[in-house]
Amino acid sequence: MAGTDHHCPHCGAELRGDMRKGGSRHGGAPGCPYDGLAYAALRAGHDAIYFGAWRRIDALPLEIRRGYHGIGRHIDAIGRELAGHDLPAAARDLNEAVKAHRTADPREDAPDVLRLMDNALSYAHRAIDDLLHEKGLPPHQPMDFAEWYDVVEIPFRDEW
Amino acid sequence: MIDLDRYPREIALRNGARLVFRPMDRDDVDRLWNFFGRIPPEDKMFFRQDVGRREVVQHWADTLDYGLVLPILALEGDRVVGDATLHRQKTGWKQGVGVVRVQIAPDYRHLGLGTAMVRELRHLGEKSALRYLMAEVIEEQAAAVRAFEKMGFVRGAAYRDFVNDQAGGLHNLLVLLYPMSYPSDDLDV
Repeated sequence: MAGTDHHCPHCGAELRGDMRKGGSRHGGAPGCPYDGLAYAALRAGHDAIYFGAWRRIDALPLEIRRGYHGIGRHIDAIGRELAGHDLPAAARDLNEAVKAHRTADPREDAPDVLRLMDNALSYAHRAIDDLLHEKGLPPHQPMDFAEWYDVVEIPFRDEW
Repeated sequence: MIDLDRYPREIALRNGARLVFRPMDRDDVDRLWNFFGRIPPEDKMFFRQDVGRREVVQHWADTLDYGLVLPILALEGDRVVGDATLHRQKTGWKQGVGVVRVQIAPDYRHLGLGTAMVRELRHLGEKSALRYLMAEVIEEQAAAVRAFEKMGFVRGAAYRDFVNDQAGGLHNLLVLLYPMSYPSDDLDV
């Protein structure tokens, strides 16, 4: 596959060049920022939603529906990973994500849809962090990858 | 009985520092006493015992019983930089409730260590057949409250002017609860 276009297996970005070396983005930027990190696909999957268009204040209904379905696929992916681990706290977090996601059906035009989608993504993030903790790794920090996305605001960061 | 085979565990912090989590043992008295010696006085005001006295820490070491109190230390080399404890009762009406306490060295705050230690206690609690974890936090300790809430703890109660510091001042006490999952839960995943 060397020298041809391909999609990053983690973040889905269109990359050019040698796949085994991470490739590069169109325009010459380095390849996938998640490459080599533990649970790279889950991190990338989270961030693609976290920085997604559905969270803009002027998001279109179609973008919200895309975000909703993206969260569903993300939760499924975490569930497949958790199936191989004995982490009841993480399973509980993911179960909360599932509940929030099921309640937030964007077709119903419910006023709480965005809040529930946010909750689902937040619980899913916590499950990823549980997986990382079991490997002795720090939590995933989406803002560390913000430059790869079209981000306009930097949330306040304060951790104990 | 909690399975302690997972220790010692290496944990990386956000700044790249690598620490080791492991249960306290009887040889840790001086390490832990030195750790408490670096805790600021304003934090010590809320301690239940005078940890500035070595004999208090020595007593903990002499009476170690992981079934009652499981202290997990965070060590950087030979230095204790964090202490998280899971307190349980073997009998009685609160035997399903685990009480958690966490203390972090001042120079290791805001690096995610507190959150990692709460996460560790939550894992231990899930493995201990407990129904709830409970943390009591002074309302002014906003970062600690946030760390617990981030891990899924919810505010169970708030008591106004409920506890006093060593200078006699009154403070609001927050009781934070984490409901554990147990076999009867319907996990959808």
